[in-house]
Amino acid sequence: MNLPALLCLGLVVAYPVGYAGYLSLHQVSLRQLRTGDFPWAGLANFSRLLDDGVFWLSLRHTAVFVMVAVALEVVIGLAIALVIAERRVWIARVTGALILLPWAVPPVVNGLLWSFVFNAQYGYLNRALSALGLIDGSVNWLGTPALAMGAVITAYVWRTTPFNILLYHAALSGMPGEIFEAADVDGASAWQRFWSITLPLLLPVIAVSLVLRTAFAFMVFDEILAITQGGPGNATWVAAWYTYKVSFQPPFDVGLGAASAWALALIVAAASLIYVRALYRQVDL
Amino acid sequence: MTRGRRTLVWILNLLAIAFLVGPLVPVILGSLHSEKSLQQDVRSLLLRPREFTAANFVLILSGGTARGPIFEQVSYLPKSVERFPAAFLNSLVVGLAVTAVTLVVAGLSAYTIARLGLRWTRALLRVSLASRMVPLIVLMVPLYVMFRSYGLLNSLSGVVVAEIGLLLPYAVLILVPYFGSFPSELEDAGRIDGCTRFSAFLHIVVPLTTPGLAACGVILFVLSWNELLIPLIVVSRPEFMTLPVVLAGLVSDYFVFFTLMMAICLLGLAPTAVLVLLLRRYIVSGLVAGAFKG
Repeated sequence: MNLPALLCLGLVVAYPVGYAGYLSLHQVSLRQLRTGDFPWAGLANFSRLLDDGVFWLSLRHTAVFVMVAVALEVVIGLAIALVIAERRVWIARVTGALILLPWAVPPVVNGLLWSFVFNAQYGYLNRALSALGLIDGSVNWLGTPALAMGAVITAYVWRTTPFNILLYHAALSGMPGEIFEAADVDGASAWQRFWSITLPLLLPVIAVSLVLRTAFAFMVFDEILAITQGGPGNATWVAAWYTYKVSFQPPFDVGLGAASAWALALIVAAASLIYVRALYRQVDL
Repeated sequence: MTRGRRTLVWILNLLAIAFLVGPLVPVILGSLHSEKSLQQDVRSLLLRPREFTAANFVLILSGGTARGPIFEQVSYLPKSVERFPAAFLNSLVVGLAVTAVTLVVAGLSAYTIARLGLRWTRALLRVSLASRMVPLIVLMVPLYVMFRSYGLLNSLSGVVVAEIGLLLPYAVLILVPYFGSFPSELEDAGRIDGCTRFSAFLHIVVPLTTPGLAACGVILFVLSWNELLIPLIVVSRPEFMTLPVVLAGLVSDYFVFFTLMMAICLLGLAPTAVLVLLLRRYIVSGLVAGAFKG
């Protein structure tokens, strides 16, 4: 009964990962793809990768992106999960029903919609800000490096936070009410209750969400494509975008792309491993 | 509950709703305008109902043929408009195929993992978990070269195969806890009456775990519908493009119609948004199950 799954995993996951390793050690670009003959290149692709300033730049951008995005996802997710925990007020049930809406939005649509929001000339954010009298003229959100990164992060966080809200909400609903009643009897304030009871009980779930969200944030692609295409200049080049551009845009340097893909996979694996190690020690996952 | 606390809960909830729904407001307003009225006043919030028009939707749904008075004079239209109907259909076909195949394959595996508890089935679970962590772009580089030599580039089947590989591990993770929480006594009774393990699975487990299977199916369909990178790399011919690829084409267009873009976005997100709002309960349980029981 497991044969089909093993076959699929082998053909579309395991074999390609190995094959990526093979490609990264050979010279593969448009001409080689045509002839089907990949000459051995040793570690040349990797040394070219490590010499490429843009690769390092995109790694730095990815690090910033991952840290800021994951932190925001956790904090906003936690805040909204706590807000909807008060089920006795009916509006909380409305909020609860809407949580999944951003999750359902296709990432590329998400990118396009935020590109309209952040557009300098006709964008909605500039319209809203000038209607409120906060700005005079227009802010070039996507033309300024730091603001462009902020715009991409905003779009990404909006789409991905719902998943965290969901996990935290599920964990909160499963908590025994007696603990909170006991805390109330002991005269704990809402803040104390959060810090000493809710947060420690949520830690295992937060740990799971950290691992998952970090791994996924490393792969951000759609929003970059739809909002900035890596621009302005290369201010929002991230690792997945770098791999895509070198492999699938002229000059189709698939060998270099495979090397960068492998480097990215190793980084994600290492990050997950460090996370899981550190978290296993802290909490019983 | 005191009155002050109730007010606070209300305010916080309204803020949360603004966060969740707010970004969709510009999409709706933008899609209802003509490019002319969008550009006329760059400070307005696009809130004047008298300027609303359905022309964008009419144009897109007709694949660029029903131009109407607003688009009559326009000499250039994005190619995405004329490609929309076919791409919508492609996305539907791919989504249904991926969902069906993945559900069957993952269901069989998840069942054995949940029931047998052997060392190698547990290892399979761990492999599924690890596969989920492999960045998709890592798979796409070798898959491109492989598909190129097998002639799977520029075909919907190539897209389907790659998406099954991507989603299968996740489906297994979602389904294992479902089957695990299902009491095994019923199957035991069936097997005493002479069922094989497979027929017990087919005739007893599957009918009784339909909600879990449905949850997993909806999640798979949504993820397949939303997938951009796989079809972007596998497909370059317009007739095989799925909706996200056609939408991504709007980015590189040399002239951007924001109103058309927002209308096309709205049409692209509507199917999954409706599905998710209607089947929320199932999806929530599936997503939570898939995240934890690793």
